[in-house]
Amino acid sequence: MSTDARDAVEDGFGHVSRTVGTVFRYLLLVSTLVGIVTLGVLLVYVANDAIRPLTADPGWHLTFVLAFALPSLLVGGYLYRRDKSALFTGLNALGVPAVSLLFASAAAMLFVDVVPPLIWFAYVVAVAIPLVVLLATTRYSHRIPFLARVATLAAVTVASLGVVPGAIQSLPFVPQAWLVVAATLGVPVAGVAGTYADRRWGRRAAVSVAVAALVATVAAPFAGPTIGLDPLPATVLMALAGVPTAVYVGTVVVNQPERRVGLLLPLVVVAGALVGGAVVDALGFAGPQAWIDWQFLTSDHSNTPAEAGIYPAIVGTILLMVVVALASFPVGVGAAVYLEEYAPDNTFTRVVDVNISNLAGVPSVVYGLLGLGVFVRYGGMTPGTVVVGGMTLALLILPIIIISAREAIRSVPDSMRQASYGMGATRWQTVKNVVLPRSFPGILTGTILALGRAIGETAPLLMIGAPQIFDLPTALDARVGAMPLQLYVWATTFASPEFYTTALAAGVVTLLVAMLAMNSIAIVLRNKYQREQ
Amino acid sequence: MSTDSLTQDLTQRTENSSRELLARAFFFGCAFLSIVTTISIAVLLVTEAAKFFSITAPLVGVEGETATIAEFLTGTEWRPNFTPHEFGVLPLVSATLMITFGSALIALPLGVATAIYLSEYASERARSFLKPALEILAGVPTVIYGFFALMYITPALSTIFPDISFFNLLSASIVVGIMIIPMVASISEDAMSAVPDDLRQAGYGMGATKFDVSVGVVLPAATSGVVASFILALSRAIGETMAVTIAAGSQANMLNPLNPLGYFESGMPMTAAMVQLLHGDITGGGLAYRSLFAIGLTLFVITLAMNIVSDLVAARYREEYE
Amino acid sequence: MTRENMTDEASSPADGGDPTTDEMLVETSPTAGVSESDSGTAGGSRTLVEARNVNVWYDDDQALNDISLEIPENRVTAMIGPSGCGKSTFLRCINRMNDLIDAARVEGDLFLRNKNVYDDDVDPVALRRRVGMVFQKPNPFPKSIYDNVAYGLEIQDKEGDYDEIVERSLKRAALWDEVEDQLDESGLELSGGQQQRLCIARAIAPDPEVLLMDEPASALDPVATSKIEDLISELAEEYTVVIVTHNMQQAARISDKTAVFLTGGELVEFGDTQKIFENPDSQRVEDYITGKFG
Repeated sequence: MSTDARDAVEDGFGHVSRTVGTVFRYLLLVSTLVGIVTLGVLLVYVANDAIRPLTADPGWHLTFVLAFALPSLLVGGYLYRRDKSALFTGLNALGVPAVSLLFASAAAMLFVDVVPPLIWFAYVVAVAIPLVVLLATTRYSHRIPFLARVATLAAVTVASLGVVPGAIQSLPFVPQAWLVVAATLGVPVAGVAGTYADRRWGRRAAVSVAVAALVATVAAPFAGPTIGLDPLPATVLMALAGVPTAVYVGTVVVNQPERRVGLLLPLVVVAGALVGGAVVDALGFAGPQAWIDWQFLTSDHSNTPAEAGIYPAIVGTILLMVVVALASFPVGVGAAVYLEEYAPDNTFTRVVDVNISNLAGVPSVVYGLLGLGVFVRYGGMTPGTVVVGGMTLALLILPIIIISAREAIRSVPDSMRQASYGMGATRWQTVKNVVLPRSFPGILTGTILALGRAIGETAPLLMIGAPQIFDLPTALDARVGAMPLQLYVWATTFASPEFYTTALAAGVVTLLVAMLAMNSIAIVLRNKYQREQ
Repeated sequence: MSTDSLTQDLTQRTENSSRELLARAFFFGCAFLSIVTTISIAVLLVTEAAKFFSITAPLVGVEGETATIAEFLTGTEWRPNFTPHEFGVLPLVSATLMITFGSALIALPLGVATAIYLSEYASERARSFLKPALEILAGVPTVIYGFFALMYITPALSTIFPDISFFNLLSASIVVGIMIIPMVASISEDAMSAVPDDLRQAGYGMGATKFDVSVGVVLPAATSGVVASFILALSRAIGETMAVTIAAGSQANMLNPLNPLGYFESGMPMTAAMVQLLHGDITGGGLAYRSLFAIGLTLFVITLAMNIVSDLVAARYREEYE
Repeated sequence: MTRENMTDEASSPADGGDPTTDEMLVETSPTAGVSESDSGTAGGSRTLVEARNVNVWYDDDQALNDISLEIPENRVTAMIGPSGCGKSTFLRCINRMNDLIDAARVEGDLFLRNKNVYDDDVDPVALRRRVGMVFQKPNPFPKSIYDNVAYGLEIQDKEGDYDEIVERSLKRAALWDEVEDQLDESGLELSGGQQQRLCIARAIAPDPEVLLMDEPASALDPVATSKIEDLISELAEEYTVVIVTHNMQQAARISDKTAVFLTGGELVEFGDTQKIFENPDSQRVEDYITGKFG
């Protein structure tokens, strides 16, 4: 805009139009923020109801501000001004253990309450046998006809699943539960950590990393009881949370020396929390009387709000998610691969294409009807079981997975396909060796987001006849509830002012944490993936 | 190299090897499953709903109590669980319409404003915060939105409107409106981003301000995309279940959609009625069970039609600019 | 000769009694022979790839118009011409990469030795295993250097010592000395010129009959380009190289024979490189080479 004062009229016009523009701009910004801020306020309210920070002793708050909040903020601010990437490292070093702890706890719950370790062990061995056969025959695959190989594998799998679990369960000596878990989790985790180390630091480092991971997992059941953890959960937590965190920290220390300073942040946070806790104990300051506490997370439902817990619902959600993921991931990716890599440009393809986008818009309650009609009424399955619920939810998120997987596959550069086809690769070889590995992070992101949607779905579960009051589900054909269903039941069947501000608020926070954890993993994965491309 | 072995090599038909056929069959089967799903939904809803209506029930060999189509479509009372049964869908439709309209009043302007801000004004940095935040807005489980409406929004509203009932359509409309903002915003923004830069340049070249360009050039050029996003978001609002079930109540009042005071009262939208029906006998296959599918079919047809229309409208802007 | 006879002859090249076929197998066509003696190449060279009346359409646009030419074995044949003249399209006919484009339609005959690769019984995938290809932009897979080179061996289930084949291919592609110690690192971490040599190593590892190169140096800097050019000349000792280039000097430097395509997908002149550049028959080719158009 001209600053020339000669033409006052023009300046005046410029001024007026800028005012309108500025007002408009801020109007837009405010509109954008309305929804976000409203949700934020609601979240603060519900968090307040669930945690009740004001019930704590002022001394408690003071202690934690001094020991925990202030140092963390100071270190965070220092890192922000010094080097933003170090701050990111610090935040990641907090996020990795937090998220992996969440998932490790989920796994630990399954081992403690749902799958007896011996049965788990039996099935791991039964599945491992055909896998070993598969790997062994890969080497000679060109000498054995493909169909013969498939038939052999199928036979071995069936035989192994039929014989091995029974045989192992009838063994005269039963190994300790934690030992079984340490072996079945520790070995693969050590393998994965070793492969990771091999790619970054070479063979020798890989061996020591793998050995360290295995030793840590086997040592965990002995170390656990000293800090009040049972051997079994201690083993699971070490394998699935401790090892990944250690690997992440190790990577930062070795490969990004300039970011090491970021590790100060988690150090200060953890130390602050420990020191704060010790001081509060010593001085006798009472903490907040939060509704969301250990008792809430580990108890069953109760008609008394103060005693009600959400544990069966959490386990139900975990089981449902396992079924949903197993059912929807391969099928969704398969459909996406067909549409992107195989489908000829014909009417059938266009019909499938339109159909998928329409399926994504079908209300979830209609999917519930589908599950009710197909699985329960005509399929003769028991209403409200883990399998029925999981398959119904899988159908619900299938279109979402297909759409996002197609996008991920489409973003694989065509030059990669050309290179593969130019080498004389068949379609399947190109898909397997080039397209899927390259699009895998994108597919994973979409799947996690879709699971994040499934975790909050209530209507389909209601439709397939999930029970209002449910016990801990211990098998795939057990009747199951889930976190959102528990919330609905508390909000309707047990509607009372007490429930609203106590168990219900705590349940809302629990479900939100689970959903936000899923979404944040997906968002972090996506950002990383986009940066790499 | 002998030419015979060359010929043999070149004609080995790798595409028809069993491995390739197996892979192709698997992928095709996965894609085909989506068709099977749609057909199952349609067949299931139609056959079960057919057992509900007296005119079609004999065709599918069902005897016993039925309802007439006229009764279903024009009745003003919904009383499936108590005798005498009444199966008039209008009270449910009226509540659904009011919530859809109310949420549209909130979500459409805010969503379009968000889309303009994101596509024309926001810096890359602002976008990197706002887009995930909007995703979370859409990702919060709807049962939680229902709880928010009941626990925090209705009490806040009752300080302004003392007459408002505990369950009311206004709070339901507000939460449904909030949860569909991201849908309007993201699809509209895609349409706006697809508007070619030449058009903007032309506008700026004429001396237009950013405001002129956004409102005068980009928004009109993206109209079909914006309309598509509206239709899709409304279809989502119609199909929304848990939030309205919790917040709007379970009394099937016949409301006059043109009377704004109706928003202070409780009502039962179609989806809430379906949830309500489940408290009765669900697997027995009684009339109430069949009415579930009659409503489900109505809902499915409405949302499917809206999705298809939205697709057709959206296809127009893709044709225009891609 | 009637029209029908011509068609018959074209579609049955393996027919032993046909004089054209014999000639093709024994010696290159008269014109090609003359060019060779002109360029001083010792000994005759058999024809490896022969195109007869190849036409290509993309939907209704004709991209190649009645191309006939013979590509000699163990020589470098260059295709030059302005952009959009169809030279890359022709290259992609040889290994049937055009099959991957739904809109593309190919007519005519193209023989690899005595087999028409457009016969119904020919599998394009099997064909591509015998015809290697290097693309304009280096496109190594996001895998390790070793896995990139071994890719062709793995997808073909070839037997043999992969380590040795990988080493030999990298040596032939003049890349071994630079990557010997980093075979496990990603191919994407190499420089552009190294990536292109990696792609060449990848293409020659399964030992193809023909090596097609689609402007292999156009995305590279001059130093990397000259390395690739040296490499192509060496590769011609063992392979038949067909290279598309828009760089006339490059064609003149490295090729034994040159085909000039001009707009409309027309092959204007084909012959010995020296002759094309010094004394072309066609006025249009001369105009193009001297820079009067194109």
